[in-house]
Amino acid sequence: MSKPALLSLHQALKRSFHSLEQNQEVWNSVLEECRPLMGSLCNLAEQLLALNNVQISSTPLARFPNLQDRLRFKLLVAVDTVLEKMAEKMCSLQMVRDAVGNKVTAAFQVYEQHADTLDLSACLQRSAAAPSVADMLEWLQDADRYYRQQYLKRKALLQALKSNDHSDLQSAPKRWEALAMPEEEDRVSDALASVSFFMDSP
Amino acid sequence: MEAKSPGVSASGRKPVVSGSARKLKDNAADWHNLIMKWNRLNDDGSTIANQIVNLKLSKESVKEAVVAGEDDQTPITRHTASASAIGSELEDRCFALTAILEKMAHLVSKMEKLASSTKGVCELQEFQLEHTGVCTPLFHTWAASHFEDVSSLLLRAYREELALKEVIVGELAHTSSADLALVYLSCWLYQPYLQPSTALQLESLLLETGHRVL
Repeated sequence: MSKPALLSLHQALKRSFHSLEQNQEVWNSVLEECRPLMGSLCNLAEQLLALNNVQISSTPLARFPNLQDRLRFKLLVAVDTVLEKMAEKMCSLQMVRDAVGNKVTAAFQVYEQHADTLDLSACLQRSAAAPSVADMLEWLQDADRYYRQQYLKRKALLQALKSNDHSDLQSAPKRWEALAMPEEEDRVSDALASVSFFMDSP
Repeated sequence: MEAKSPGVSASGRKPVVSGSARKLKDNAADWHNLIMKWNRLNDDGSTIANQIVNLKLSKESVKEAVVAGEDDQTPITRHTASASAIGSELEDRCFALTAILEKMAHLVSKMEKLASSTKGVCELQEFQLEHTGVCTPLFHTWAASHFEDVSSLLLRAYREELALKEVIVGELAHTSSADLALVYLSCWLYQPYLQPSTALQLESLLLETGHRVL
């Protein structure tokens, strides 16, 4: 077993987990910021639907010229504004995905460099303070996959939104929330909890 | 007192303007301030209008509950008590919205004055132009008549908005259709007669008069 190889791999793993820890926080806070935006999207969709359901000419608003079109225009502008803000949030999510992906790849590269000198028992060995290398690499890969999938699903949902299909817009927040995978999210947290001693060790 | 020639007011690179230009510049600032106040009132009014609609909805649900619970004697009194509490709250909110509307009407009357003062300055400029034949822009590029165009455009938009809001205030608490109530709310908040061009005109007015720096 090569001690220096294991040491450098441990260092790489620590860096990856530190990055994962920070990025998990960023990811969750960005998702939290998305919630009110998706809520206002639903709200706007409801207003657009109500506008379609009302026959303006038979209401007290009848004397206002082009009111329906003007209001619809304003509401659609508001929808666009919300979608632009969502696009910014997606950029932040993409950055998390890329940052996690890069760090995980870096850890695997270090592992592959030393793969010849690291025998199986060294990779599987664990102690009270540090999980095995194999476990840690697996957790990193799981986290990487989780963020990739989540990002793609959320991106796809937003891209498929049609602002002229109001019921589609209205259901978007529910579908957005349904994309959450709390079990996968918990696995990231569990992994971080399992390596907390390892991360703090010198 | 505003009869100084445009040549004097625009002469040199002095930041201080006088005469017609001074007046138009002040008017531009007033437009900006009135519209800022309008926007604040619009936000406050929107909050109140939402409360009115919510109260109205909860009042109706209480009514239904009373109808549903008629066999049982005790809950009815409780329901009517809460219904009357909602009623007085609703009345209070309606008064608040009316007060907001009055303030908005006051702003529009100030806008009317602004527009007529701008019109006066422009007529003065035209009069001077006829006599002197000198036609220099008061600030950067706009001819005097353009100020009149912009101010009357702004005035028209806000007049229409005020008329719309008057109808909304009158009808909001009396409509039984949830869809129509929602349309009233979105009309109040999104102000359909204020188009993006309205905001753009105001910005260009501020830019032309030097309130905004290029």
